Amino acid sequence: MSKIGVFICHCGENISATVDVERVAREIGGMEGVAHAIDYKYMCSDPGQTFIKEAVKKYGLDGVVVGACSPRMHEPTFRRACAEAGLNPYLCEMANLREHCSWVHEKSEETTEKAIDLVKMLVEKVKKDKPLESIKVPVTKRALVIGGGIAGIQASLDIANTGHKVILIERDPSIGGHMSQLSETFPTLDCSQCILTPRMVEVAQHPNIKLYTYAELESLEGFIGNFKARIRLKAKSVNYSTCTGCGACIQKCPVKKIPSEFNAGLGTRTAIYVPFPQAVPNKPVIDRVNCNYYKRGACKICEKTCQVGSIEWDKEDEIITEEVGAVVLATGFDVKGTDFFPEYGYGKYKDVLTGLQFERLASASGPTFGEIRRPSDGTIPKKIVFIACAGSRDPAKGIPYCSKICCMYTAKHAMLYQHKVHGGESTVFYMDIRAGGKNYEEFVRRAIEEDTVNYVRGRVARVYEKDGKLIVKGVDTLLGGQQVEIEADMVVLATAGVANCGSEQLAQKLHVSYDPYHFFAEAHPKLKPVETNTAGIFLAGACQAPKDIPETVGMASGAAVKVAALFSNDELVREPIVAVVNRLAPPLYSTCVGCFMCETACPYNAIEHEEIKGRDGSLIRTIARVNEGLCQGCGTCVAFCRSKSIDIQGYTNEQVYAEVMSLLND
Amino acid sequence: MKKLRDRVAALLDEGAVSLVIGYEEGTKRPRPLFCRNSESSGKLIFDSRCFHNLAVYVTKKELVGKERFAVTAPISTLRSILQLYVENQLSEEKLLVLTVDLNGELREFVTFEEISAYVAQFEMKRGEREQEILSKIEGMTREERWKFWMGEMSHCFKCYACRSACPLCYCTKCVVEVNRPQWINPWPSPISNMEWHVNRAMHMVGRCTACGACGDACPVGIPIDLITRKMMEDLAPEFGYIPGQPAKQGNALSSWKLDDREQFIR
Repeated sequence: MSKIGVFICHCGENISATVDVERVAREIGGMEGVAHAIDYKYMCSDPGQTFIKEAVKKYGLDGVVVGACSPRMHEPTFRRACAEAGLNPYLCEMANLREHCSWVHEKSEETTEKAIDLVKMLVEKVKKDKPLESIKVPVTKRALVIGGGIAGIQASLDIANTGHKVILIERDPSIGGHMSQLSETFPTLDCSQCILTPRMVEVAQHPNIKLYTYAELESLEGFIGNFKARIRLKAKSVNYSTCTGCGACIQKCPVKKIPSEFNAGLGTRTAIYVPFPQAVPNKPVIDRVNCNYYKRGACKICEKTCQVGSIEWDKEDEIITEEVGAVVLATGFDVKGTDFFPEYGYGKYKDVLTGLQFERLASASGPTFGEIRRPSDGTIPKKIVFIACAGSRDPAKGIPYCSKICCMYTAKHAMLYQHKVHGGESTVFYMDIRAGGKNYEEFVRRAIEEDTVNYVRGRVARVYEKDGKLIVKGVDTLLGGQQVEIEADMVVLATAGVANCGSEQLAQKLHVSYDPYHFFAEAHPKLKPVETNTAGIFLAGACQAPKDIPETVGMASGAAVKVAALFSNDELVREPIVAVVNRLAPPLYSTCVGCFMCETACPYNAIEHEEIKGRDGSLIRTIARVNEGLCQGCGTCVAFCRSKSIDIQGYTNEQVYAEVMSLLND
Repeated sequence: MKKLRDRVAALLDEGAVSLVIGYEEGTKRPRPLFCRNSESSGKLIFDSRCFHNLAVYVTKKELVGKERFAVTAPISTLRSILQLYVENQLSEEKLLVLTVDLNGELREFVTFEEISAYVAQFEMKRGEREQEILSKIEGMTREERWKFWMGEMSHCFKCYACRSACPLCYCTKCVVEVNRPQWINPWPSPISNMEWHVNRAMHMVGRCTACGACGDACPVGIPIDLITRKMMEDLAPEFGYIPGQPAKQGNALSSWKLDDREQFIR
């Protein structure tokens, strides 16, 4: 017969004020199989734990029930106490008498009776508990970082500097991301490329980092510590081991009018191209959609130009498999285009730009070499209007959130304009100025006070073209809603930051959650901002929500620390509360019939196919097997299994049945 | 019919298959025939009276052995075979499916897709008997329905003929035989009968293809096939399924789609 010890806690007065704890201990003490039952004021305190340890030894207990607070609070405490006394920790369970009883009911007979029932159920369950061992899974100490913007660069460098290997993949031909497109950075106005490009080079040269550009994640299988990533290396059509990056092919390429992605459509590039002069790696790829040879089958001028014969016309996409232990998602964001705004001309006015396009105009590496010139006629704008919150904070546009970076970069844009165009007039229309951050408010004040930028609080209703000018019709709410009309030469929209294209599909490949706007979801908004709900996958930067460079870099380092902490273990220890498919002696092997309904039902991809083979190697049956590393113990498969061939360790069908029957058999 | 017999004889003689499961003339109605040599293929018949669901045999390993085999299948059997493919119980290399189409032509299917495309031509309809009883039940209040089924189930003596006849009841250990814990009491009584039939129905949700074999097999004439048929009919529009045409993978209740807005859950 079982020898169960029951320990009822008063929790100060939290439980004893409404539950007659002495009666609970007395009545449970009379139950069959209960060897010892007591109550005590603070069971979690040192003397309380000592009671449990001594009772385990004195009565030779084979199970312990603690009637106290929530198991989330103190289950580890009591399990540790039992383990110290020599009892398997998983033979100790808690009845939640506080949250499930005393806190939610008034003091009465019935409350006490409910407490007795709760403990009784657990006693019956513990009688059928089996000793369990923690699960240990090995860790592959190599990280995959997806996205080569500043977030991915920082995370890669930080992980690599802890001594672990990193695989960095980037979808574009060069790393650098949006930061490489920026002109100057707030609040110090230092050149973006000057601070970024050294890090890009460091990534390429770091012995612990393997960089794959022009590559995308095809699929990710496995679980924390043991992922298998399939990576598609898109065909570059150029052999990077022989290419010297001389650039002769680029100069000779006859297809010259392709809008440059790097210049946000303001400049052009060729079909064989390097996105920008400081690109890493600084070697070209052929854009097969626009290349004459791939389109019409003739041209091959680049091949004739190339001195080293690096052009590979028939190169195909290659898929490689890498084993990694952790993944950092750093896929960044995108900005809405001007075509998203009917009220600002649907993108048809050439001199209505996005903030990102203005960055290119202001950048020394941009299409105008840093001079602010109108894309339409190349003249220098005398009057410029910046419209903040273009799309952001506008539920009608489906973007109710604040894009966070626009207030600051708009102030920066206006400041840069004033510095570059002497005598120019700039106006900023804003809703509120959000300048929370070190030296941020001072920066905005400087734009207003020293650089005489005209800030108008109000929205712009319409922008239209008239005689080569852009007529901006807005309102000044601080002047009692007075109409404002400005004849501007250029209008810059601080368009909303949105999730990068393909983020939804990527989230599905990785089984991470995402929010309604397709930004990846963190595991906890405050306490787990860099973790995802999938163990071993972490977030860095604007793929989680729009954020500025310092925040992105901070988050990337945070994610890197999480990865390093994970890699500091040789094995991961997990609770053994996982599903198990039964195994029987031959010829049955298992009652599982291999219908694999569990496989489609499992939210964690934890069901595998196990082939049972005879001595001669012939296949006898295929049955389900649960991957302990992936299983989260949710029990969905158990509910689906018609033949009850799957059970959750620690929550078996038998145990749940015993709990229910303990209430019904009164 | 001659084409079918000749083809079966040829298949067996060539050794392309080791067994053909088909129908032969019985005392009152056609019965299953297990052809293992070309001589017995002369007994094969295939007509509208052949509705016994032969798919029930294709999962029986002791019967079909390890070699490739064939089955002659009317439309209801084809649907069951599709569902068995979905549940990983059949392999395309091992099974050849034969049927005679509406024009009297012999058709042979090897893949899931071929059967699926053929079955798609046939709409799933209630027969006269089903229509009559179901429209009566659909007219009842919830209490009346409960009374009706409790009355029907009280006749059940748990012979499990329904289970034996169903091609989708292929578990080696049925839930009624699970005794640790014993969720369902094995003896016949109104409550335990209901437990069994509710369990059976729940196990069929999203799987039943309404062949009617269970109702046909019931020795006391309980129309149990209508429970699973009605569930199938109700499930189909809500989960975007076409009755009798299973999708290649998963099950209405075990799979989910990202673009499913679940409008019917309120």
